[in-house]
Amino acid sequence: MLAKGPAKKVTIYVNEDTRHHTGSLYEAILTFLLHKGVSGATATQALAGFGAHQVIHTPKIEELAEHPPIRIEFVETAGKVDELLPTLYDMVTDGLIEVQDTTVVKLATKEKKSEPKHPHVRKQGQARLMRIFLGEADKWHGEPLYDAIVQRLRMMDIDGATVYRGILGYGAKGHTHKQSFWHYSKDLPIMISVVDTTEKVAAAVGVLEEMIEDGLIVISDVEIVRLIHGHDLQEAANASPHAS
Amino acid sequence: MPALTPARILRLHFCEHDRYRDRPLHEAVVDKCRDMKIAGATVYRGVEGYGQTAEIHRSGVLASHHPIVVTVVDSAENIARLLPVVEEMMDKGLIAISDVEVIRIHKSGAAHAEQNPDRT
Repeated sequence: MLAKGPAKKVTIYVNEDTRHHTGSLYEAILTFLLHKGVSGATATQALAGFGAHQVIHTPKIEELAEHPPIRIEFVETAGKVDELLPTLYDMVTDGLIEVQDTTVVKLATKEKKSEPKHPHVRKQGQARLMRIFLGEADKWHGEPLYDAIVQRLRMMDIDGATVYRGILGYGAKGHTHKQSFWHYSKDLPIMISVVDTTEKVAAAVGVLEEMIEDGLIVISDVEIVRLIHGHDLQEAANASPHAS
Repeated sequence: MPALTPARILRLHFCEHDRYRDRPLHEAVVDKCRDMKIAGATVYRGVEGYGQTAEIHRSGVLASHHPIVVTVVDSAENIARLLPVVEEMMDKGLIAISDVEVIRIHKSGAAHAEQNPDRT
């Protein structure tokens, strides 16, 4: 990690249109540096210049306006630069790499709200799976019932709901929901699946019963294995500090 | 919250191009369920997947190879009655059964739907 004190400054000179595989080289270098956790890198487009090819690239003369030079700079610790240089050496097929000693005087970073890379956390446990069977044409105050249900579940902080549209089916009403090439059906079977804790599913059932005119709710015990983003977990921990 | 009725859910996983006597297997299964007075059956088409044969199911240029799931919810007795029939119809695929609890909502009619779901 970069700190105040001695460091290395690397400058790479390339052309804007130098290619690296299918993309441009300078973008590939920036992506590589970002991926390697370099504190920061800047690519600047030069106004004019010339390089080893002894051609001045200047916007003043139209045919020389192509291939403008690009300069990429970054400052890192000596160790990190040593680690990065072999790859950069390979990547820069046409250009120049320069390393110089420098001193970091100030390194101020505003505190970030959330770290971009947190490991996933695995959570395992018992939960309830609820499947709601209804028809696509079912309405609730003029809007599609499945839409209304998903919105309501979201309002109730239910962890997640997924709507599936079946391609064929029949239910208690007895009529077949089917669509073919010649016949477009607006009443295909819909299934909403919801996974959450027993209490929250029970609360949702009460609400859903009021909304659904005709349908089926199927509930079963399931075991969940959940991968949660680290920062989501941190937020949850901040909200309830006693949560493990 | 009304009483939850115990029931079972049966899920059949196979491929969209599977056939039974020259017609799509999922259509044949749904018709069979209806003949056997099973409460309901729904067919879902997956977007992509793979199964036992490790063959990736996704849409081809000419033929459709999407994964298919048929879901049937009914009493344990009816599921037990249906199981050997669909087992005979499927050449390959997967059958999964789990215990569930069911709430049947039927507001417009009387409460007869629970016992006699087939109104046709």
